[in-house]
Amino acid sequence: MQITETSAEGLTRQYKVVIPAGELAALVDTKLAGLVQQVRMPGFRPGKAPVALIKKQYGRAVLGEVLQEQVGEASRRVVTDNNLRPALEPKIDAEPFEDGKDLVVTFDYELLPDVAPGDLKSIALEKEVAEIADDEVTQAVERIAGEQRKFETITEARAAEKGDVLVFDFLGKVDGVAFEGGAAEDYELELGSGRFIPGFEDQLIGTKAGEDKLVEVTFPADYGNTELAGKPATFECKIKEIKAAQAVAIDDELAKQLGLDNLDALKDAVKKQLAEQYDQFSRAKLKRVLFDKLNEMHAFPLPPTMVQMEFDQIWNELAQDPAQLENEKKESGKDEDGLKADYRAIAERRVRLGLLLSEIGRLNNVEVKPEEVTRAMIDQARRFPGQERKVMEFYQKNPEAAARLRAPIYEDKVVDFILGLVAMTEKTVPLAELMKVEEAA
Amino acid sequence: MIAEKHYDIILSPVITEKATRVSEYNQVAFKVADDATKPEIKAAVEKLFNVKVTAVNTLVVKGKKKLFRGRPGQRSDYKKAIVTLAEGQKIDVTTGI
Repeated sequence: MQITETSAEGLTRQYKVVIPAGELAALVDTKLAGLVQQVRMPGFRPGKAPVALIKKQYGRAVLGEVLQEQVGEASRRVVTDNNLRPALEPKIDAEPFEDGKDLVVTFDYELLPDVAPGDLKSIALEKEVAEIADDEVTQAVERIAGEQRKFETITEARAAEKGDVLVFDFLGKVDGVAFEGGAAEDYELELGSGRFIPGFEDQLIGTKAGEDKLVEVTFPADYGNTELAGKPATFECKIKEIKAAQAVAIDDELAKQLGLDNLDALKDAVKKQLAEQYDQFSRAKLKRVLFDKLNEMHAFPLPPTMVQMEFDQIWNELAQDPAQLENEKKESGKDEDGLKADYRAIAERRVRLGLLLSEIGRLNNVEVKPEEVTRAMIDQARRFPGQERKVMEFYQKNPEAAARLRAPIYEDKVVDFILGLVAMTEKTVPLAELMKVEEAA
Repeated sequence: MIAEKHYDIILSPVITEKATRVSEYNQVAFKVADDATKPEIKAAVEKLFNVKVTAVNTLVVKGKKKLFRGRPGQRSDYKKAIVTLAEGQKIDVTTGI
């Protein structure tokens, strides 16, 4: 096997590999000799068939196998002999091969750039933290209380108002004929919840218990059932009861209902949850700032194919949805080429950061432990209640999917590592500001 | 001249361990028509493969008795010819004609 470097430019390397015909023939023969023992041929006991016959029948297949192996072997040799760190699989170009001739293959490699992480300690970051205001907590508690409210039948005869729950029977008809799914008894409907077709709930406002009411509505044109869509319908409603919402007092009783000891415990829990949320926001923002800094600090050449792949991925995602593409154009005021340039810059940034983070991680022995991946899998499984087992099986059977889970964990750990090095100051900002910039990002 | 009847006489080569073994003695085995005679076989082989034949031995291979779907059956007999070629000549039976 002869390996010669034919060109070296920037991050691309081209190698030409020549494998002499004699070497190939010898390999084919040894393979065939091995095959003799396995092949069953009519007229011969297993292992007794003459090599000449087997060569005739399996020669081409064996040759193809040998060629493939040799190309793989050559690729490995090129990489190890020249100490390459290829970014991607090489582009392989083989000249048309003829039996009895030398095999000539050219490999186009794209190398990973030498990434030298800059002085991480020189990075100064400002972490924006938001304080949790008391009224935030109060609001959250009130919201919880609102979800816990109960409806009780009112005794005095008053008209139904928005926010009440009506208990009623109804029978829906289109063109005087009852349709399927258009009738129910003792149905409970909260007025103003918007669960029924538009107009229905409005017409029930003002009714009293025991009253009969004919509701006339038209199904919206985009109604799920195409037979009913756009048609006028009448509903004979018989109001049975009106239930009014009872305000739930915010006290220890409420906390107990939610499984907590007292009101203070509830407040603490809410506060903790809010703190976690804010923390996530600050972290996301901090990460972004850090990435910006890292991106500025490092300027190494990027493998063009990697950038192209990343760009294609972003662009295809966008191009799949023409409406979104139009929207983007309008928002940025740019034409398609302008947008493409923008996204190319984003792709470059992603590739650069990806290379940089993995290099920093490698240099500093950041590792993802198997149990961390397992924990991520369990988290994923929890998102599909009832199918946990299936989800776990899926990850066990698909190493690629598991690898996809691994990537963000790795990124997070590297970011943690960097954050441990950089000079970080905390700054308290109002919540609104923390959220605002986050949205712009 | 290769007459069509030559193709009717020589049916197929016999490719087995035993047939491979006799090839050491410059012999080739063929399955031939049941009613083919030694002179006919000699003429056919000489014409079809363009070789010189020194001797032809024939035998009738008796079909085995086999059960087909539980009923006794009989595989067909066939005539096998072992043709000895003149010194230095050979036939590549696997390539076909």
